[in-house]
Amino acid sequence: MSGPDAMHGEMPGFPPGRPGGERDEPLLDMIFDRRPIPPGAPSEMHDLARMLATVAGPAETGDLAGETTALAAFARLVSPASVSPAAKRPARRWLSGRPARARLPLAAALVTAAAGLGSITAAYVDVLPGPIQQMAHVTVGAPAPSRDLSYRPPAVRKAYPRVTQDLRTVAPRPTHSAAPSPEPDSSSRQEPRPGRSGRSPGPVGVTCTPRPRPTQSSSRPSPTQSPPEPSWNPRFPGPVSCLNIPTKNAVPNPSW
Amino acid sequence: MGGAFGDTLARAQGGDESAFARIFRDVQPALLRYLRVIALEAEDVAGETWLQVVDGLAGFRGDEQAFRAWLFTIARHRAVDAGRSRARRPTVPLDLSGAAEQLVSADSADLALQAVSARAVVKLIAELPPDQAEVIMLRVVADLDSGDVARIVGKTPGAVRVAAHRGLRRLAELAARAGVTQ
Repeated sequence: MSGPDAMHGEMPGFPPGRPGGERDEPLLDMIFDRRPIPPGAPSEMHDLARMLATVAGPAETGDLAGETTALAAFARLVSPASVSPAAKRPARRWLSGRPARARLPLAAALVTAAAGLGSITAAYVDVLPGPIQQMAHVTVGAPAPSRDLSYRPPAVRKAYPRVTQDLRTVAPRPTHSAAPSPEPDSSSRQEPRPGRSGRSPGPVGVTCTPRPRPTQSSSRPSPTQSPPEPSWNPRFPGPVSCLNIPTKNAVPNPSW
Repeated sequence: MGGAFGDTLARAQGGDESAFARIFRDVQPALLRYLRVIALEAEDVAGETWLQVVDGLAGFRGDEQAFRAWLFTIARHRAVDAGRSRARRPTVPLDLSGAAEQLVSADSADLALQAVSARAVVKLIAELPPDQAEVIMLRVVADLDSGDVARIVGKTPGAVRVAAHRGLRRLAELAARAGVTQ
């Protein structure tokens, strides 16, 4: 051989340009189609036809293995109750094979249970609006609404629960309006004690501009007077109430 | 099965166990021989194939040729799945035990000494390249035409025809070497 591609003269048994030969293709097609091949065909073609007829022939010993298992599987699926297509489905599809009429009450019961559980949970963590919380307090023994029955934004309570707790004890919450009430009730207002300015939260209002500094109170000198109070930071001339973030050393709004 | 296939299939789909058994006995030998060429655990794969056939028998529509094509398509998929599953399991290489050489020599010896049985020819076909062996089994044993075989193996009918011819030529050489002559 002279390499991967042999010269024609080196393979005299094969016609040029047809490696492997294609003259036997009609005979091979006859074998595949199980047609009788001509008697003058090469003997290897007859042997080939005989071998393929054997391998396509009737069953031999062991060729019917698994019959019992297959028939058992067939009998398991075919029963008088399984004439309907739904009954012929395998057992692993039992849930999806249930009729829709049986699934509808189940789904409704699940949704109702989830909604009820969620409502009770919300009542016990005291995040419901006031009237609803009051009703939950009466019906299921949830905590009573601690203040008024007006709507409270839940985001404020979730983000800063300690701050709102302080607000509840220090001063009444303003109404929905972001502006402070013009004249709060003096009986419910608790004046900030001297020296406790660091724990005083800012108002709940959502304005982000510095409020004017309060006028001098009895417990605190004005910054214009000298010397300034040591706890007051001159870099923050007034409490900035934005997103209800309590500012250290903040001075309570006098309107509260 | 011929012209009785339609009636037998209808009775099997209606729950007649004897009709299903008749279909099973008609095609199971060809199915097992085909699987013995393309899969190691032929009986297991055949069992999984029949479970799927039983599962979908009620919804099958077609003649005997279509049924055979459907059956062997399922069998091929299950064989592929079995091969993947086996590949994930740790195995002992055959070369370590010398069993590979024993199997090859046993094939030739069997063919030379005993009458040519179907199982011996299946073993001889299994020595062909896998694509050629599968095409020959589907064409000859499953009795499918080139179009059905092409759809099952994912090739063109022309490629199937070429692979079948090459496989038969190679098989003739193997048979001559093994002494299977008149």
